[in-house]
Amino acid sequence: MTCDTSSSGCGLEKLESLSDDSISVISENWNGFCSSSEALLKGSGDLSFSDEFVIRAKNLCKHGLSSLVEQHFLRCIEEIFERNGAKRFWSYFEPYRNAAPSETNKDLILEEEIQQVICKALEEISSQKQFQEKCLLLLARALQSYEEDKLQGQANPDTTRVYLFSKYQLIVSSVLLASLPHHFPGILHWYFKGRLEELSTIAAANSEDEEELGMDDKMDLDEKSKLPYKCGDMDSDISHKYAVFSENNKLVKNIGMVVRNLRNIGFTSMAEDAYASAIFFLLKDKVHDLAGDDYRSSVLESIKAWIQAVPLQFLRALLDYLGDFTNFNDPSPGLKSPLASHPSLCYSGTGIPSEGLVRWQLRLEYYAYETLQDLRIAKLFEIIVDYPDSAPAIEDLKQCLEYTGQHSKLVDSFISSLRYRLLTAGASTNDILHQYVSTIKALRTIDPAGVFLEAVGEPIREYLRGRKDTIKCIVTMLTDGTGGNPNGPGGSGDSLLEELNRDEESQENTTIDDDINSDDKQAWINAQNWEPDPVEADPSKGSRYRRKVDILGMIVGIIGSKDQLVNEYRVMLAEKLLNKSDYDIDAEIRTLELLKIHFGESSMQKCEIMLNDLIDSKRTNTNIKATIKHQPQPEQKDLDVSLDNVNATIISSNFWPPIQDEAINLPEPVEQLLTDYAKRYTEVKTPRKLIWKKNLGSVKLELQFEDRAMQFNVTPLHASIIMQFQDQKKWISKNLAAAVGVPVDVLNRRINFWISKGVLAESMGADSADHAFTLVETMNDTGKSGTIDGGCEELLAGEDDGERSVASVEDQLRKEMTVYEKFITGMLTNFGSMALDRIHNTLKMFCIADPTYDKSLQQLQSFLSGLVAEEKLEFRDGMYFLKK
Amino acid sequence: MATMNSGNNSNTPATAAPVIPSPKQTQTTVKTVDTQSVLKRLQSELMALMMSGDSGISAFPEEDNIFCWKGTITGSKDTVFEGTEYKLSLSFPADYPFKPPKVKFETGCFHPNVDVYGNICLDILQDKWSSAYDVRTILISIQSLLGEPNISSPLNTQAAALWCNQEEYRKMVEKLYKPSV
Repeated sequence: MTCDTSSSGCGLEKLESLSDDSISVISENWNGFCSSSEALLKGSGDLSFSDEFVIRAKNLCKHGLSSLVEQHFLRCIEEIFERNGAKRFWSYFEPYRNAAPSETNKDLILEEEIQQVICKALEEISSQKQFQEKCLLLLARALQSYEEDKLQGQANPDTTRVYLFSKYQLIVSSVLLASLPHHFPGILHWYFKGRLEELSTIAAANSEDEEELGMDDKMDLDEKSKLPYKCGDMDSDISHKYAVFSENNKLVKNIGMVVRNLRNIGFTSMAEDAYASAIFFLLKDKVHDLAGDDYRSSVLESIKAWIQAVPLQFLRALLDYLGDFTNFNDPSPGLKSPLASHPSLCYSGTGIPSEGLVRWQLRLEYYAYETLQDLRIAKLFEIIVDYPDSAPAIEDLKQCLEYTGQHSKLVDSFISSLRYRLLTAGASTNDILHQYVSTIKALRTIDPAGVFLEAVGEPIREYLRGRKDTIKCIVTMLTDGTGGNPNGPGGSGDSLLEELNRDEESQENTTIDDDINSDDKQAWINAQNWEPDPVEADPSKGSRYRRKVDILGMIVGIIGSKDQLVNEYRVMLAEKLLNKSDYDIDAEIRTLELLKIHFGESSMQKCEIMLNDLIDSKRTNTNIKATIKHQPQPEQKDLDVSLDNVNATIISSNFWPPIQDEAINLPEPVEQLLTDYAKRYTEVKTPRKLIWKKNLGSVKLELQFEDRAMQFNVTPLHASIIMQFQDQKKWISKNLAAAVGVPVDVLNRRINFWISKGVLAESMGADSADHAFTLVETMNDTGKSGTIDGGCEELLAGEDDGERSVASVEDQLRKEMTVYEKFITGMLTNFGSMALDRIHNTLKMFCIADPTYDKSLQQLQSFLSGLVAEEKLEFRDGMYFLKK
Repeated sequence: MATMNSGNNSNTPATAAPVIPSPKQTQTTVKTVDTQSVLKRLQSELMALMMSGDSGISAFPEEDNIFCWKGTITGSKDTVFEGTEYKLSLSFPADYPFKPPKVKFETGCFHPNVDVYGNICLDILQDKWSSAYDVRTILISIQSLLGEPNISSPLNTQAAALWCNQEEYRKMVEKLYKPSV
């Protein structure tokens, strides 16, 4: 409408100057033009009206009506295109309205059908467009020739054509887009996906064949390279591959055709979206396929190789086919008529990838990194579980993260999986600690600054603090080769000691470096290695603290203070030392030295004194033995035990953890030996005196029976018990307990050891409460003959029933807590019931004299639940009561 | 503190109120005396009491004020009070231990030397007080007072009159005994 008014508007002045003649000429020409253009456009390929059309148009132009001609013709084209082209085009896709979105149903027939329909529809609409373009070209020529006549050939020959065609392109795409059914993009996506999958299977087959073909190709190439058209050795291989890929595959051409047709009708971006999403889809599948659940190999390289091999080859072929290199900078790519330029299959792009291709490659690689990263992050827990083996996966993840920078995603996801899978009541403390150590090691690779480790480690530490046996497990892990996990795969526990050793070495190295005046050099190296903290770094935490990820430090961080750890270690060390029969403490000294490096001399002082006690004991022991040789003992009894057989461990009890004291009666000769030993000690070390802890230590025994001999390494109590059977073959438990000097229940527990060894037999005595024990002199069970070596295992097994020689840290804590127990009883007597908080606060407020109440709420809670278990307290609705 | 006060008012007529020093008064005077040494004394008395392990007597400071304690006494064996448990309140003056603490029964106690408001007539809590006494001795004294009342100067004449008939007295104790929840 606006066109019309403007044309009539500008024609107004001319109208006045027009004669009747010319008006009739104009109207005649106009009518002719209208009818001929209509006939032309509807003529379906018949160009018989073209001559008339051109003449009419020219005539009208002469009367200055060129714009009117243009407008009219374009409107005609638009109407016809809308009526015939667009409607028909969309009607092809109508049957698939509901089929396309359901991508899950892999209906091959349907897929085939859609593929054909797309090709057919596109071809049809393209040919229609071509025809209309032809008509448009006629008009353009007519207008152009008029212009040329007018300006005597000085006009730019192309301007009219370019203008008309761009207008036409606009009309076509707007008409199509205006009537676009919503399922069309889905169909396109489906189509490209199907094609790409086909391509990738072909590529996979090709790469498999490649090895076989390799030889033939080489020979082929050798022959061909003599030919002049070969473009150089460098490119030959690539171009060959390319040739295999594109020329042997009509597929790419087909796809190219579809893409080109789509572009033609103005769907450039839609087509790109469709094949891009298809490529990404395929890439994702591929990454998932390659990465899978195997963490023992790096997949990043093979993914990259695949990107090069499949999607990039495809894109290269496609872009080449579309002649994208020339088109890229063209402001109106859609203008390119299929007639105007045939896509050239030149290889110019293979050597130096085009800008578009590079962009694609970056996009694809980023996507691959991101996909792999997401995949690995989701499985990070499993990866860390088999950490040393899964190092390649960690390395992959590190590279991905460097590229994508989505570390926070890792932290969030990993923390939640930790909470869900590790920090549960079912997981043993050892497992949690091992996982913690693996996490530290693994994340140290990914992030040497330790910032994310900080975030990830916090929940684990928090959780471990709530566990009672954490300290014990840590100490065992630190000092024991088996990592306190005898059931688990051996050797996994050495790692911590290794860690200690390694740290020790690295520290030695740095000190050496310092010695050789290389401070400046070192500083320079440090400066060069400096990396800024990641953005996610918590600025409130010191930067220096983060520099070194110290595994031991992080483990100590769980407990909060090294004192607790040292204390636990002391108890374990005491236990170990007291059970030693020789004075060999080399391993302990080494561990202590390592611990000293980390915890400082002063905190390990008590442990050092304990070790020194052992060393001193060895010396004193030798000295005392030496005194015997000077004055041989006349009073040797029938029992052939001499002082030679006694080795004493002399401890400075102030520095040792509290030692369990249990009175027992040792057999008379042994008792005498000990007194004798003590006497000699006093002679050697006046004014010191020995106080024996008779229940501690170990006894090497050989039992001789009528038919066999057995050797044992047992506790003094076990030894005293069996000694009683030397003279008397049968004891009832009450009398035996009195003879040995222990309560009956202790005796009954301990004597089980001998029963299990088949040395004693148990039978019911006259009194049902009294058990009778008889010595088994002859072995009727043939299977158990010969010397049985009852080694340390049995001894340790004996220790397991709560008979430890040293009070454990829990016992110590419990002892402290009994003071508070009185306070708790006191307050509960007077206040009836109290909640945990109130008990805690009241203790804090009133229990300030020695010993000051310094326990945590958790410690109090566990203590209270202990009291509840002992039925001293009751716990109801969050309140504690005294049990009445 | 507030709870203790209101507890008193519920069973104490207005006239009896002046007998108990109001907590506010206590606190203001506390500041003038050497508070630290009083605190220390009470602290050590608490520790001694806790560690002593005497059966049948107990006391503990209220939540945030070491000058106000709650006490518990059980009737001794072989007395008419056997099997009963009495709650006490102990309120220490700011110049403790030079002045005795005010001790009252919170649980009603049918006893010749205890009136209906829980006030106790015991010489060591009045004129015979000495700073050598402490919470523990006070509680022990009160516990023994249960079994050996001073009939000559009764606060509860009915109880004093009934004391000679132990069987009847026991019935009365059982009837009037309302254990605190």
